[in-house]
Amino acid sequence: MISDITIGQYYKAESFIHKLDARAKIILTVLFIALIFLCKNFISLALTLVMVILSVLLSSVPVKMYIKSLKPIIPIVLFTAVLNMFYTGGENVVFSFKGITLTSEGIFTAIFLAARIVLLIIASSILTYTTVPTMLTDAIEKLLSPLKLFKVPVQSWAMMMTLALRFIPTLIEEIEKITNAQKSRGADFESGRLLQRIKAVIPIIIPLFVSSFRRASDLAYAMSCRCYTGADTRTRMKQMKMRIRDFVCIIIFITSIAGVILLNNLFGAVI
Amino acid sequence: MSNFVLETINLSHIYSKGTTSQVDAIRDICLKIEKGELVGVIGHTGSGKSTLIQHFNGLLKGTSGTVLLDGSDIWADKSKLRNVRFRVGICFQYPEYQLFEETVYKDVAFGPKNMKLSDSEVDLRVREAISFVGLDESYLEKSPFDLSGGEKRRVAIAGVMAMKPDVLILDEPCAGLDPKGRETVLNLIKDYRETTESTVIIVSHSMEDISKLATKVLVMNNSRLAYYGTVDEVFSHAEELKEMGLNIPQITGLFLRLKEKGFDVRTDIYTLEKAKDEILKLLKGGCL
Repeated sequence: MISDITIGQYYKAESFIHKLDARAKIILTVLFIALIFLCKNFISLALTLVMVILSVLLSSVPVKMYIKSLKPIIPIVLFTAVLNMFYTGGENVVFSFKGITLTSEGIFTAIFLAARIVLLIIASSILTYTTVPTMLTDAIEKLLSPLKLFKVPVQSWAMMMTLALRFIPTLIEEIEKITNAQKSRGADFESGRLLQRIKAVIPIIIPLFVSSFRRASDLAYAMSCRCYTGADTRTRMKQMKMRIRDFVCIIIFITSIAGVILLNNLFGAVI
Repeated sequence: MSNFVLETINLSHIYSKGTTSQVDAIRDICLKIEKGELVGVIGHTGSGKSTLIQHFNGLLKGTSGTVLLDGSDIWADKSKLRNVRFRVGICFQYPEYQLFEETVYKDVAFGPKNMKLSDSEVDLRVREAISFVGLDESYLEKSPFDLSGGEKRRVAIAGVMAMKPDVLILDEPCAGLDPKGRETVLNLIKDYRETTESTVIIVSHSMEDISKLATKVLVMNNSRLAYYGTVDEVFSHAEELKEMGLNIPQITGLFLRLKEKGFDVRTDIYTLEKAKDEILKLLKGGCL
């Protein structure tokens, strides 16, 4: 069913990473991505891998959850890796058969590509598993606040993002209700050709739109009644605070990036 | 063929089975609903009423147990499930939110058209259904989105009635309507049942409405079937009903309190007529 989709897949726990400031976590994720893409040989890749494994262990989120988030992309990873393996040219031919050549460069490219995608997913999963969606939007708002200088309405954007996230479960519930109602009137969503199936969705989409507009206008009234003006004067109940541990983590990551660059130069790049 | 139109045997439903958020929505429901009854379903929020009725037309499949429609298992042949839905029509809470067509006519015709009826039959059913809900044919060409709340509700109910189900199930048909709207809706349900002689099941919070309309009452409490019987039988358990946190009709409440004060009165009284008789009896008995 639709309700099986997890959005804002927060996993409740009391770990070190859960307690980090959301802004720090976003910065750390960006640094993580940089780290993952900077690796050019196996030693620097090993360092990155250690960082990822440490973060996963520190997050107190069961490894099972990470595997679950990796599952849907495994076919893509395998597909691109295999394609890269055979289409990357190079001098060191390892294997050649009936016009298909396999070079060591090809194998390395494939390994690095697969490793990067997998690590990328894990790194971003750490962020979403350990941070409540509303904290994430708050953090994005704070991080983007310099854009206010250029008259970008950062706060309104953040509010919109928060509201959008807030209403996803509500809309899913609404879709289920409408689907049940139309099924009770004999609507058939499971059979027929593509065009028929697309047409079958109309009785769900239209009521969904109507109720979304109704909800939106109700919400706007409710917000106005509580004096929301969209002004920059709003304060927060949960104040975000960068602590020493947040800075320590960021410094560790920057050091690792330096380490990776150093290792790349010391041992030579394989890709 | 048996006299029972709907039967459930040990029907249970568990949501999110095997996870930490596992909920027993309904447990071990054994129920036999006779043809032509008007069953009122009561029980407070979360007691499993809505889950139960969604089993009657196969929107939900019980974790265990069976649902029989006219003596045959509705899940026996999955390809016939749609036919079950034509025979057991459910009108959900706030049905006006399911309207989607440009005109009232098209919307009411959605069900009958899905039944693959001929155009003339569909036309007949739409006109019949719209008159059942007390709207005249001038409404047919209007957009359902231009109608008032009560009118929308009636159009949505007509959309289910137009399928002429053997069993019509209405979940809180009066929710959010003003007293006049409530009365209109309740009366049209009554008329519909009398004209078509079909079985009707109404889920409601209002004991007053149920006691006025229903021939049988079904009480759900904590995912279980607490009582199922005639209105008299069920309201004779007034005190137990009160313990379940259910409202009993005001008149029944009055007689309960009289009994508490030591008067020898019956407590299964819920209509004004019976109340009059009982009080007259009491007065003649010379207790006062």
